[in-house]
Amino acid sequence: MPSRQNLLGLWLLLTGTCLVTGLGVLLWLESALQPSSPIRPVLWCLGLAPALLCLLLGWLLERRLFRPLRQFQVLLARLVASPDAQGDYPLEGWLRPLQPDLDHIRDGWRLDRARIHAAHTQGAQAAERIQQELEALLQVLDLPLLICDRHQRLLLFNPAAAEMFHDQPGLGLGRPLSQLLPHPSLADALQHLPEDGTPHQLLLPGEHHWLRCQLRRLGAYHGGALITLQDTTAALEHDQRWRRTLAQLLPRLRGHCGSLNSATEALLQVAGNPKLKQRLERAIEQESQALAGQVEQLTHLVEAHQLSQSSLEETWSNDLCGALKAQLVQQKVSLTPIGIPAWMKVDGPALLALLQLLIKQLSTALQVNQVELEVLLGNRRVYLDLSWPGEALSEQQLQQWRSLPLFDEPLSPRIEDVLEQHGADLWSLPPQQPGQPPRLRLPLPASRRGIEPLPRPAPRPEFHDFSIADLPAPSSDLAEMPLQQLEMVVFDTETTGLDLCRGDKIISLAACRILNGRLLADDAFDQRVNPQRPIPAESTAIHHLTDADVAQSPPIEVVLPRFRHYVGNGVLVAHNAVFDLLALQLSESGENSEFTMPVLDTLLLSRAIDPSLEGHGLDALAERFELVFPPGTRHTALGDARVTAELLLVLLPRLASRGVHTLGDVLALQRRIEQEPHG
Amino acid sequence: MPHVLVVDDEPNILLSLEFLMQQAGFSVATAPDAERALELIGQQCPDLLLLDISLPGMSGFDLLERLRADDATRHLPVVMLTAHGREVEKEKGMALGANDYVTKPFSTRELVSRVQTLLADPQQGG
Repeated sequence: MPSRQNLLGLWLLLTGTCLVTGLGVLLWLESALQPSSPIRPVLWCLGLAPALLCLLLGWLLERRLFRPLRQFQVLLARLVASPDAQGDYPLEGWLRPLQPDLDHIRDGWRLDRARIHAAHTQGAQAAERIQQELEALLQVLDLPLLICDRHQRLLLFNPAAAEMFHDQPGLGLGRPLSQLLPHPSLADALQHLPEDGTPHQLLLPGEHHWLRCQLRRLGAYHGGALITLQDTTAALEHDQRWRRTLAQLLPRLRGHCGSLNSATEALLQVAGNPKLKQRLERAIEQESQALAGQVEQLTHLVEAHQLSQSSLEETWSNDLCGALKAQLVQQKVSLTPIGIPAWMKVDGPALLALLQLLIKQLSTALQVNQVELEVLLGNRRVYLDLSWPGEALSEQQLQQWRSLPLFDEPLSPRIEDVLEQHGADLWSLPPQQPGQPPRLRLPLPASRRGIEPLPRPAPRPEFHDFSIADLPAPSSDLAEMPLQQLEMVVFDTETTGLDLCRGDKIISLAACRILNGRLLADDAFDQRVNPQRPIPAESTAIHHLTDADVAQSPPIEVVLPRFRHYVGNGVLVAHNAVFDLLALQLSESGENSEFTMPVLDTLLLSRAIDPSLEGHGLDALAERFELVFPPGTRHTALGDARVTAELLLVLLPRLASRGVHTLGDVLALQRRIEQEPHG
Repeated sequence: MPHVLVVDDEPNILLSLEFLMQQAGFSVATAPDAERALELIGQQCPDLLLLDISLPGMSGFDLLERLRADDATRHLPVVMLTAHGREVEKEKGMALGANDYVTKPFSTRELVSRVQTLLADPQQGG
């Protein structure tokens, strides 16, 4: 419908044209015919009648048609925005006969909505009950666990996980797992998890701790994974310390025993050589004292440790090969497992890290890029043989590798620690016959289990609200992304004034997040900013922020990177975004605070949907759509951001009914509206 | 008289083994480390080597690997001595070419018996 101004202009133009034309004709008739007095009034009446008729017709159309049409438009907009809100007003003018039909449609729609709502409530109650049971279970579960979707975004974490990552800003629903655990090995392992739900273990080094992770693919529709975590720092440190001490102590004990034994036997046989006898007696005395000291140390060590503890677990060699193969992709080394698979009793993550390091060393030292891993069964051992085309490895070189740490971390175990843990060793086997490849042999404890693992039954379907998993992949083309699934960060700024180009600065920056078409209640960014210049009194009158309020706040250089981190992969939304975006862009200070993502403007969108309506300010729209500002929140950055978010959610279904479904559609619409002149 | 070289870094065990092996009718030389052992082997190749694994600097395994790579000593009978009583180490020693393996503490009678067997038939081991 044309805007009111346009209609008014058209009406006045037509009336004016009729009036001028009528007067022109009358004046011409007056001069040409010089009519007599009884005809003249009739002629004047006829000449002015079109203008009068136009005036009356315009007034009638405005009263009976156009005004009711505009009211009808507001009524429809309201109905779409809040279908259940009461306060309907009747149709007027010539639209009045439509009232019964409109009432019928409206009541029918409300009734349908009520039915759907009741069904939804019932379903939601059932889902909530299940969710409460699940949450209660997760609440008491000491084991930290995370669930992520196939794009490695967090769908769920339990309180134990929240406690474990309490100082990590990356913990949050919908956030990429890499913000929480930035280990390429984890991302890679998640991508290559077996479909049958076989667990996969990883040891992740952290700044101050070691995390043992067990990953398992979930068979649910979102194709995600369950990650259970265990902080093994203390156990690992304790274990390594104990094993190292014991490993150093036992050979010394054996050595002293050997010396004592030999010296005693020699003493028994020596005769007629008092000097040698005296030396042997001194040797026995020294060895006995040393032995007593070592036994004392051993006693303390054994007492301090429960020997029964063991971290070795039954592992199927093919699982280990699969995990190793996946990890070697990054190192551009191809691994071919050969031989018959077997069960081993090993510390999976540690052994995986050890093999990865060995192959990396091989690749560097001998330029090896093809490795075969053969599993050989012994009586009580399983031998892992690495073979490669090329030269053999010397014992001396192997000796040097033993002290290499598995990870580049201060607490990292070394290769020899892992060998010690498995009671294993490592040696090089030169080619037995010409043409055969050299080998590196690693003997490991065999398991008593002999048969292959049975295929696992399909896991039960998952029951939780995993709608985040339905979001398109972060890497997919944003333009094709449906608006209802878009992650949007709605923000607002308060500034020292309106003239940003002449030095007005941000004093408050706040945002909230829309995910899956819902405004997340407890996900907000709200930060005051020290503008490093006085706040004018007229500006304080609007947002009530004074110099004292922001004196202790960080400057924008500190706040902006934090805000950029909060925005993440989201699309920005603001009301009259040009202003707020300019405020951000003028404050950008580096790579970590660049805002190059698409921006939606609720002001432009409102104008696009209702071009004939006047008033697209935040207050006017809030009133039109009955959006509520909680007391005292208008002109606070977070309050305005939240109402803008509510406004956007009201506009989305109306955009959809106009064929605007994707981000690409809405950006095109915005561009079109921006290019149109407006009053 | 067969010539035996004993390599061990423990002076007390060298003292005892030297005397006991002499009592058993061998001529004995001793070396406290692998470098000295290589010197002595270069001067006079022994009929048998008693070799400790844990030596300062070059380890017993290193020395064994070097001996097996040299044509002059490829077939020299070697009995490994170790204070690490782990089976896997024994396997490693044998894989690298040792003829026999004795774990400390050992009975000298048993050691002498193994040395005599090996000297009689160097192909026999284990």
